[in-house]
Amino acid sequence: MNTTDFLTIATAICPDRPLMIYQGQQWTFDQAAERINRLANAFAGLGITKGDRLGILQVNCNQYIETYFAAAKLGAIFVPLNFRAKADELSYMLDNAEAKLLLMGSRYVGMVDDMLPNLPSVENCICIDEKCDGKLFYEDLISDASPEDVFTEIDDDDMTILMYTAGTTGRPKGVPLKHSGFDSYITGNVDPPDPITEEKNILTVPLYHVAGIQAMMAAVYGGRTMALMSQFKVEDWLQLVNDEKVNRAMLVPTMLKWIVDHPDFDKYDLSSLKVITYGAAPMPYEVIKKAIELLPTARFINAFGQTETASTITFLGPDDHIIEGTEEEKEKKLKRLTSSIGKPLPDVEVKIIDSEGKTLENYDVGEILAKGPRIMSGYWKNEAKTAEAFTEDGWLKTGDKGYIDDEGYIYLAGRADDLIIRGGENISPKEVEDVIDSHPSVEEAVVIGISDPEWGQECRAIVVLKESEKATEVDIIGHCSSLAGFKRPKSVVFVDELPRNQVGKVLKVKLREQYG
Amino acid sequence: MGELGKRYECEDCGTEILCTKAAETIPECCGKEMPIKGARELPSSD
Repeated sequence: MNTTDFLTIATAICPDRPLMIYQGQQWTFDQAAERINRLANAFAGLGITKGDRLGILQVNCNQYIETYFAAAKLGAIFVPLNFRAKADELSYMLDNAEAKLLLMGSRYVGMVDDMLPNLPSVENCICIDEKCDGKLFYEDLISDASPEDVFTEIDDDDMTILMYTAGTTGRPKGVPLKHSGFDSYITGNVDPPDPITEEKNILTVPLYHVAGIQAMMAAVYGGRTMALMSQFKVEDWLQLVNDEKVNRAMLVPTMLKWIVDHPDFDKYDLSSLKVITYGAAPMPYEVIKKAIELLPTARFINAFGQTETASTITFLGPDDHIIEGTEEEKEKKLKRLTSSIGKPLPDVEVKIIDSEGKTLENYDVGEILAKGPRIMSGYWKNEAKTAEAFTEDGWLKTGDKGYIDDEGYIYLAGRADDLIIRGGENISPKEVEDVIDSHPSVEEAVVIGISDPEWGQECRAIVVLKESEKATEVDIIGHCSSLAGFKRPKSVVFVDELPRNQVGKVLKVKLREQYG
Repeated sequence: MGELGKRYECEDCGTEILCTKAAETIPECCGKEMPIKGARELPSSD
């Protein structure tokens, strides 16, 4: 099955049910399907064919979802871009993807205009939310195009999304995601629409993130109504759940913390919530404990995955969030709740290996590997990173360290690499280090992740200045203004020299011990 | 009758179908009627 079938199936079963609610408007499955057909025909009229790449730069909105399915109907490849990224980062991704068409929100038009001279592959630009000079207007394309259905020969193993993710070194890497990967997850885990019982899902996680795409695909196939939030704001989230009687929500731990700590929490009726999924970063025990107490109608799930695995690969289910039984059982469950990511989903194999590639016994800590139909086959145009990401026998190295207990539960034990994860966003230390190194007073810099109660982790820069040069913490952080806000260091430590091993490599472990 | 939105699974060969249009007849596979497959016990993580 390809992903456009999700929409076709759900539209056949519940055509009159709202698919999306956004800023006071709503579209039924039938209405959305027609707009998607019109958009696909409009894209075809602009010369988009199978395999072409379409970039999109906008916050979550109905057009984002329509654009995905319109592109998929043509067999084109959807390239969702992080709307927090800066021009330099966006240019790199669009150039690397060789995007032929770029859709954007009006707030990004000025930035895109500055980038376009360096993006020769981009033939057309579409402004999504209002008419802009020199850009096609989304609603004009919809109204002018044919509503006829579009049929393209699509193989289940064709790529449907090219999603960029930060690694530990340098530029973002493109991860090709296939129709079959989403099919494997969705048909293996999501129930099709019930013609009578309706479900509502609040979509808060950004759609440039694989978790957002997974939630969107699941909602479409499951016949769920999506209440879309352009970006997460805690008061808006509480109000929307209250007003729309939302049943499902996916949150990163930082969002859940803001929700349960909100001073007006008691003023909202959140009793409609049945399922809350969280992931993308470690969940502080105090936050999940409070959430379980304050949201008694909800069943909690900890979902673990990454872009390279087309989202969720392991799952700590609702029963593991109920801490009861004998003292021994309670202790075991508490440990699971604080550090386990649960068990692998049925279509995923997981194992733990040591640094020499040997499979480890239960409870021995090593790197977590994954295998299955949803795992990417390699990074986009990056053979070197692809080779690093897989073992010789085809297992994906997740970059996370952990171990398995006797009952098959997997526990996290830190990162095998230097990746920093702030509020669910991956940050490459190398990318931040390169910017700091370009400061005229800086000899060298290392960036580490430090623990933060709000965001899970924040960046801290350890900086060596050139001889007789001076710079302050404010200077260094200010110099990072070319980076997206979430990547900028929150603090800077100045040192005379960095600790190194015998071959001169910086010992980040020592820096983390001393300054982490 | 074939119920809209229900999944049916063949007990012999494991073939699964999803009914997207209700009908008067129950779907058959391997020479016999296919029973309805129940909803999953665990919610999906999305």
